[in-house]
Amino acid sequence: MNLLWAVGALLLSCWQASASTGPKIITDPPEVSNQTSAVLSCNLTESNLPIKGSHWVYNGKIIEDSKSTDASPSTVLRLEKITHSSGGKYECVFETEPEVKGTIEVKTLPHVGAYKHSEHGNEKDKGVMVCVSHGYPLPTDWTWFKEEDGTQKPFINGTTTKFEIKSTPNKTTLTINELSMEEDIGDYTCSGTNELGTSSDKIHLRVRSRLAALWPFLGIVAEVIILVTIIFIYEKRRKPDEINDGRAIPMQITKTRM
Amino acid sequence: MTKNKPKAEGQRDEAEGQDGGWGWVLVGALFVSTSLVFGLMRSLGIFFVEFVQYFEESAQAISWISSTGLAAQQFFSPLGAALCNAYDARVVVMTGGCLAGLGLILASQATCLVHLYLTMGVISGLGWGLVFTPMVATVMANFTRRRALALGLGFSSIGLSSFAFNPLFQLLVEVFAWRGALLILGGLSLNIVPCGALIRPKRRSKSPEKINSESKPRASILHRVSSHLELSLLFERPYITYTLAVTLLNVGYFVPYFHLVAHSRQAGFSEYQAAFVMSAAGATDILGRVASGWFSDLGHFRLLHLLSIWTTLAGVFIMLLPVSSLSGSYPALMVISLLYGFCSGALTSLVFAVVPMIVGVARVMGALGLLQLIESGAGLLGAPLSGFLKDVTGNYIASFMVAGSFLILGTLTMATLPHYFSCKDPPPPQRPSPEDKDKSLQSEVEPSVTERSVI
Repeated sequence: MNLLWAVGALLLSCWQASASTGPKIITDPPEVSNQTSAVLSCNLTESNLPIKGSHWVYNGKIIEDSKSTDASPSTVLRLEKITHSSGGKYECVFETEPEVKGTIEVKTLPHVGAYKHSEHGNEKDKGVMVCVSHGYPLPTDWTWFKEEDGTQKPFINGTTTKFEIKSTPNKTTLTINELSMEEDIGDYTCSGTNELGTSSDKIHLRVRSRLAALWPFLGIVAEVIILVTIIFIYEKRRKPDEINDGRAIPMQITKTRM
Repeated sequence: MTKNKPKAEGQRDEAEGQDGGWGWVLVGALFVSTSLVFGLMRSLGIFFVEFVQYFEESAQAISWISSTGLAAQQFFSPLGAALCNAYDARVVVMTGGCLAGLGLILASQATCLVHLYLTMGVISGLGWGLVFTPMVATVMANFTRRRALALGLGFSSIGLSSFAFNPLFQLLVEVFAWRGALLILGGLSLNIVPCGALIRPKRRSKSPEKINSESKPRASILHRVSSHLELSLLFERPYITYTLAVTLLNVGYFVPYFHLVAHSRQAGFSEYQAAFVMSAAGATDILGRVASGWFSDLGHFRLLHLLSIWTTLAGVFIMLLPVSSLSGSYPALMVISLLYGFCSGALTSLVFAVVPMIVGVARVMGALGLLQLIESGAGLLGAPLSGFLKDVTGNYIASFMVAGSFLILGTLTMATLPHYFSCKDPPPPQRPSPEDKDKSLQSEVEPSVTERSVI
């Protein structure tokens, strides 16, 4: 009985050993978080497949400079400066039959920016403020704050009909209905949070009174009326002279009658 | 400004308008009114961004606003011309100014996109149509030798005003929001009314014809309307050829104005660089208008030949625009844009100045009206076509190429005009016989009295 168990255990371990002889990639580091630069490396182990070369892929596109026809089982990619635009999924690909890939995620703080840093709206109209984000991973949470008396007051969606927040991972929109000059002027902050942290941007909202444009408009209309009056008066003054004047343009009939 | 010349001037043959004097005042009026029509139209792009954001509509839907406005202006041009022939150019232009202003004022209260189509598009467009053709025809009637220069000076306002209006409108939108800005623009457009007031009122020169038509039993409303609209022109081959050429020209002409900024941005230049390219092209546009007007009046070449040269060059430069920007070189883009601006301005001064050569001075008003109407189809076609090409190909190269080729096609069409290759202008055609019959009924007979004065 004991012999049977021993044989069984031996067979099991052999089988396990043979199951794990598939090619394996060791990535180092397994994940990059919040670093300014990094060296990504992949090591292909436990594979006797011939390696024709290797390259790196970033967000689905092949990085041209990383292509190599080296048959070496290890490949390295240097990221000198990691900004929000270089975050994403990096894959090392070994050109074997079949291809073997390993993935390293480079994560950064989100980069949050406002479409326009100064927004304006008309009284009683709606005001729209938009923030967008780039980076990887995209923010999972967006919050809006209003600066009041030095502190940030958060907006909670759904409490009133005055505010509406619509958010997608890369864009968030705060809509304020029925703008009022007393309450709504000020600085608004949008802040996006992903697993690494938070970053934010500020927008200044200005509310113009509905009648603000009326005064310049009335001024211009007055100017037009004055000009037209002057022109007509001037012409009335000249009219007696003109009948005798042989001016060509209007004087067809008078001339032919002369 | 009082040009009360002695009676001797009265005896001067006024077969065509004499240059100088009140004519230059009218050039000033043309300057202001054209800037408020076309300069304003061209700077409406500033509102584009605001509308897209506020109404949450697609870019295409918003761009229909300015297309509608332009199309309405051109469509209602014959109406403006006919009304001037029937009544008084002064009244027509002043009414047009009021309508243009009204359209924009109403647009400031718009709550949906359709409102904007109707107000900024149709009403303002109608107003603009009643203003532009009459003003141009009036100025042309007042000048003979200096016609192209007068037009060049008048049209130079388009470039200057789009140069000035772009930042001005941006400022207005920032300070007053788009509603307030539109209201103020409506007020500004009302300034067309004093410009119209400057036109000297017609002294009933049409009355002989009216007397005659009353005495003829068959004179029908239809006949009068058709003569006011100058519909007989549609049957003359030179006019049709020229109109076709100008239509083809128009398909391509507006494309850079709509797409140059977007194309520069796509080629990788910043917002300010792209905007500056437009401004620079606008500056040389102004220069081109005045320079070409002055040069054409020197009389060394036929206006038609000069027009063909400028049109061809403009077409070539439009085609070169995407080539230069794709090379990534900002100076190259700048240079081509400057050259394009100059040529497109140069051809604009001449497009209208050639018309009296083809149809005779008397029929200019109606001719211009019909010309504007027929070329309106081109304007409606041009921008959406290039937008469509851009959507299909992903960039603007095809649009610019097609636009440039349309201009060259226009030149080729112009080459089929009769007497194109002769060095001197053929004599302008006289009005056909019905008028001569009328003339013989009257006792006063003038050899060149086919010139029913246009004003």
